[in-house]
Amino acid sequence: MDPTKDQLISLYRTMQTIRLFEERIVDLYARGEVPGLAHLYIGEEAVAAGVCAVLTDDDYITSTHRGHGHVIAKGTELEPMMAELFGKKTGCCKGKGGSMHIADMDRGILGANGIAGGGLPIAVGAAWSSKWRATNQVTACFFGDDSSSNGTFHESLNLASLHKLPVVFVCENNGYGISVCQAKCTPVTDVASRAVAYEMPGVVVDGNNVLEVYEAAAKAVKRARAGEGPTLIECKTYRWRGHHEGDPNQGARYRTKEEIQAWKEKCPIERFRKKMLKDRITTKKSLGKIDDDISEAISEAVKFAQESDFPAVEEMYDDIYV
Amino acid sequence: MAVEVVIPMLGVTVENGKIVEWLKTEGDPVEKGESLFIVEADKVTTEVESPATGILAKILLPEGEEVPVLTVVGLITEPGEAIPDAYLPPGASGGVPSKGSKATETGEQVDFAEDAPATQTALSGPVRIVPAARKLAQDRGLDLHSLLPSGPENVITYDDVVKADAPSDDAVPQRISTLARRQAEAHGVSTDAIKGTGVRGRIMRSDVTAAADTVRLERKVSRSAAEVDATFGSVIPMDSMRQTIARRLAGSAFTAPHVAFYTDVHMDPLLQYRKSILNAFEKHYDLRPSINDFLIKAVALTIREFPLLNGMLKDDGIHVLPNINVGLAVAIPNGLVVPAITDADQCGLKGIVQQRSDLVGRALKGQLSMDEMERGTFTISSLAQFDITFFTSILNPPQSGILSVGKTRDELYLVDGEVKVRHVATMGLAVDHRIIDGAMAAGFVQGLKEKLETPAFTFMHT
Amino acid sequence: MREITYCDALNEALRQCMQEDDRVVVLGEDIGCYGGIFQVTKGLLDEFGPDRIVDTPIAEAGFVGACVGAALTGMRPVAEIMFIDFTTVCMDMIVNQMAKMHYMFGGKGRVPMVLRTNIGAGRGTAAQHSQSFHSFFAHMPGLVVAAPATPYDAKGLLTEAIKNDNPVIFVEHKRLYISKGPVPEESYTIPFGKAEIKREGRDVTIVATHALVGSALEAAEQASKEGIEAEVIDPRTLSPLDKDTILNSVQKTGRLLVADEDNKTYGFAAEISAIVAEEAIYYLKAPIIRNASPDTPVPFSPPLEKAYMFGKEALMESIRRLMAYA
Repeated sequence: MDPTKDQLISLYRTMQTIRLFEERIVDLYARGEVPGLAHLYIGEEAVAAGVCAVLTDDDYITSTHRGHGHVIAKGTELEPMMAELFGKKTGCCKGKGGSMHIADMDRGILGANGIAGGGLPIAVGAAWSSKWRATNQVTACFFGDDSSSNGTFHESLNLASLHKLPVVFVCENNGYGISVCQAKCTPVTDVASRAVAYEMPGVVVDGNNVLEVYEAAAKAVKRARAGEGPTLIECKTYRWRGHHEGDPNQGARYRTKEEIQAWKEKCPIERFRKKMLKDRITTKKSLGKIDDDISEAISEAVKFAQESDFPAVEEMYDDIYV
Repeated sequence: MAVEVVIPMLGVTVENGKIVEWLKTEGDPVEKGESLFIVEADKVTTEVESPATGILAKILLPEGEEVPVLTVVGLITEPGEAIPDAYLPPGASGGVPSKGSKATETGEQVDFAEDAPATQTALSGPVRIVPAARKLAQDRGLDLHSLLPSGPENVITYDDVVKADAPSDDAVPQRISTLARRQAEAHGVSTDAIKGTGVRGRIMRSDVTAAADTVRLERKVSRSAAEVDATFGSVIPMDSMRQTIARRLAGSAFTAPHVAFYTDVHMDPLLQYRKSILNAFEKHYDLRPSINDFLIKAVALTIREFPLLNGMLKDDGIHVLPNINVGLAVAIPNGLVVPAITDADQCGLKGIVQQRSDLVGRALKGQLSMDEMERGTFTISSLAQFDITFFTSILNPPQSGILSVGKTRDELYLVDGEVKVRHVATMGLAVDHRIIDGAMAAGFVQGLKEKLETPAFTFMHT
Repeated sequence: MREITYCDALNEALRQCMQEDDRVVVLGEDIGCYGGIFQVTKGLLDEFGPDRIVDTPIAEAGFVGACVGAALTGMRPVAEIMFIDFTTVCMDMIVNQMAKMHYMFGGKGRVPMVLRTNIGAGRGTAAQHSQSFHSFFAHMPGLVVAAPATPYDAKGLLTEAIKNDNPVIFVEHKRLYISKGPVPEESYTIPFGKAEIKREGRDVTIVATHALVGSALEAAEQASKEGIEAEVIDPRTLSPLDKDTILNSVQKTGRLLVADEDNKTYGFAAEISAIVAEEAIYYLKAPIIRNASPDTPVPFSPPLEKAYMFGKEALMESIRRLMAYA
C-alpha cells in the first residue's frame, strides 16, 4: 500500500507542476494573455496529486471550475492545456471550453465544470457505465465543500451507494464558497459526516498532506473496484489565491492575511519536500532538477499557446451537434 | 442637420407649383438625387429629387395644394435627428417623440403619420396591403394608392392586385413604371398591348405616350371639344392646365394694355420659294419645312431689328432678353401649350424645322419639359388651317409681343389693269402697349411683311 | 399493416433497441414493475432485468446527470421524466451539461442519450403536470427535440433518437398514447430534420405538432368541403427544423397557420412565424395566425381547462380568417 520511491517522486512532480503552472497563470492572467476566469488551485495540490496517483489512465474523473490541478494530475499534456486557457484552436477543447470546461476524453477527464455540484451526477453515470460495461474502471469525483449543500450531492451519493457504484467522492474542503465560509453554509463540521446518511464510508484527511490523501484514496479506489461501492473523502485544505484571479480576497472582505499566511505555512509541497529530504528519498539537487524541468516544460507550453492560432470565426458553428 | 425640401424654381416665369404626388412617405429613408415628389406647375409635371440623404422626417405640404415656388414642403433629417420645433405643429416638441408619434426611442425611424395635418389626403397615408400583394404590385409597377382593398379592415389582398393588373399572361407579369401607369390612366390607354422598351421589357412613360399618340390618331383629332363632357347643365371641373391657362390669360389681359396692328402679307413668293426648295430640302435633310418654320425665322430676324419685342416688363424695368426664343402655340387635346424654338434668329432653317417638329410632336404627347414651355420670348399663334381671316391674340405673359396668323386666302388683285389672283394672309401683332409704342409695332409688322415677301433674300443664308 | 398504439410503438422501439444494443439502458421513475406511468416501459423489466430497466429514486438531476455521464463514457441511456413539468428540477443537467458538452469539449465528447418526456393538458392534472413547454428545449443549441404525432413516427423517431449520437429531448404527448395507427413490426428510423407533409393543399399552410396534427387534418377535411385546400405539415423534429418544407409550402399558399400546444408567447409557433416573416414575407397573402395555448398556467377546474385547450374548431376558424384575405 505504501508508495514506492518512484511514486513519491511522482507525487512531488505532480504537485510542483500544478504549483508552477498556476503561478505562471497568475502572471499570464495579469498581463491579459489568459482571458476569462482563472480559478487557481494553488495550495490544494496534494488533493489532486494524491487521488490521481491511485487512478489508472482508464479511470475517470469529474472536475470543477477549479480544475487545472485535476487535469494536470490525471496526465493531460501541458501544451494543449495551456493553449485551451489561451482560447487557441490547438487547445484540448479547440478553444471552445476554456479553463472551466477543460476535458480530455483520452485520459478519462470528463470535464471541468462551471456549475458547482454539476459533476457529481455525471461521475455517478460514468461509474454506472463502468458497471454496465463491466470494465472495472473507477471514477473519482472532485467537488468543493459547498457543493455538498447542493441537491446533486445528495442525489448522487444516494444513487451511488444504492447501486454500489465504483465512485470515489473527493470533497476539496478549502473552507469557502467564494466568500462564504463553511460555518455560514452548513451546520456540519465535517462534510464526510454526511456519508453516514448514505451508508458509505466517510473519511476526513489532511488535504495538505499528500500521503494521507494518497492513502485514503487508495483504500477507496480498492473498495470501489471490488464492487463494494463509493467512499466519501473529505480533504481539508485551503486556496491561497482569491476565488479567481482578480478577486480581492485579502483583508476585510472575507478573510485575513493572517489566515492565509497560516495556511501557507502548511504548504503541501514544502511539507512533502522536507519529508522526502528528511527520509533521504531524494536530494535537493534532484528536486532542483525536477523543478527546472517543470519550469522548462511550462515555458514550452506557454510558447506553444502563444504561437498557436485562434480558431477561425466560422468554427463557432462546429461541434454543436455530432 | 435638417435639410429643407422646397418646390424648386421651375422656369423663369413659374410662380406657383403643387405637389401631385409624394413618392415617399414620412419616415422613409431617402438618397440624395432620388425622386421625392412630383410637382405640377404651369401644365407640366416634374419629378423633384431629394436635396439630401437622410430620412424624410416631415411632409409640410400635402398633395394637391398650390403654393409659391421655393416654399418649404418637407424636411430631411439624419437618422436619429429630432425635428426642430419650428417645423412641428404648435405644442409638439421634436426633442422627445410626442404621444401618438411612431418615432422610436432611438429615433432611427421618425414617422409622424399620426400627427399629419388633417388636410392630408387619403392618398398619402400608409397603404394597408398584405406583403405578397405589395411585392406583386411593385413587380408589376402598380401604384399602391390606385388599388381597391377588399380584405378585412380595408387591407389590399393579393387578389386585389391580380385583378387590378390582370395581365394577359399570368406567368409573365407586366412590368411598368409608376409614371407610365399614371400616364396610361391619364390618356385612357390600356397597357396590355404596349411593348415596353425599358429594362427587361418594363413599360416606360415614353412607351405609353407613343401608344397614346397612335390611339389619338386613330380616333382622329379634335377630341378636345368632343370629349369634354359639356353636357348642358353640367359643371366641368377645371383641371390644372385649364386653371393655369385661365389665370395667365386673365392676368395678361388685365395687366398689359393690348394694341394690335394688322397687315396683309403676299404669300405667293414664300409659297413658291418653299415649293422650289422642298424636294431638295427633304432629300438632304429628311425634313419638311412648313410655312410656320419660315414665319418663325422671319419673326426672329425682325425681332433682332426691334429688340423691345424681346422685352419683358418687370418691377425693376424692361428686361430685354438676350436670346430670341420664338414660341409656337400648339393645340393639344385639353388645352394649349407654347413650346419655343431657341435662338431662332441664329438658327438655320434646317435647325428650326428640326426643333419645331420635335417640339410639336412632343407637345402632342405631353412630353415637353418645363423649360421648353417657359423659355419663349415671343409667340406665334397660327389659325391658318381654319377658315379664320384674322384674329387677335392675348399676350403670353410676360412676353410683350404675339403674332396672330390667319388663313392664306385668294384675293383679286390688279396688275397693269389686269385682275389677277394672289394668295394673301392677314397677320396681326398684339403688343404690350406699356413698353411698345405704335410706331415701333408698325415698323415690326412692316419689316416682317417685307421679309416674308422676299423669301429668297430673307432665307438666303439659312 | 397492423395497427398499434403510440404507447406500444414506443415500447416496441425501446425493446428492439435494447435487444439490438447492450449499451441501451432505461432509467426513470416507476418504469420497472409499474411499466411507466403511461405504460411505455411495460414488460421491459421482465425481459431485460433491473440492471437495464432501472427504477430510480425521485432524483431527476441525479439520474439525468448519471445518464449524461454514462453517455459520455460509452452507454446509450434513455431517461424517462414522468412529465415535462419535472424537467425543471434537472434543468442544469439538460441545459448546461447534456446540451453543451460536445461543444465545450471541442467535439471530443459525445452524449448519445435520450430524455423521454411528455406534454399535454386535458387530464385534470393542473399546472404542474400538464405543461407543454417543449419550445424551451428547441431553443437550446445542442439538443435535438423530437415531437412524434403518430404511432409510426413515435417508433421511428425513438429508434433514431437512441441510435443517434446527439442528446435528444423526446417529447411525447399524453393524449396520443392511446391513439392507434399502422406501425411496421421491424425496426426502422425516421431521420431528424425531415418534416412530413401530411396533406397537400394550395390555399393555407398549417404547421402543426403533436396532437394538433390530427386536429389540423380534421380541419383540413372540413375546409375542403368549403373549397379551401389546406396543406398540413408536421415538422416531426422541432430541432433540427425542416425550414425548407415549411417555406416552400408558404411560398405556394401564401398563408400560414401554426398550431402548437406550447404557450403562445415566445413559443414554437412564434419561432415558425418569425422564420416565415424573415424568409418568406413577400409570399404572405394574409397575416400569420398562431393557434397556441393561452399564456396562463394550466387551470385545474374542468371548464377552465376545456377553455384552455383547442383543436379542430379553433383551427377551422383560423383557416376561415386566413381565407378572408383572398
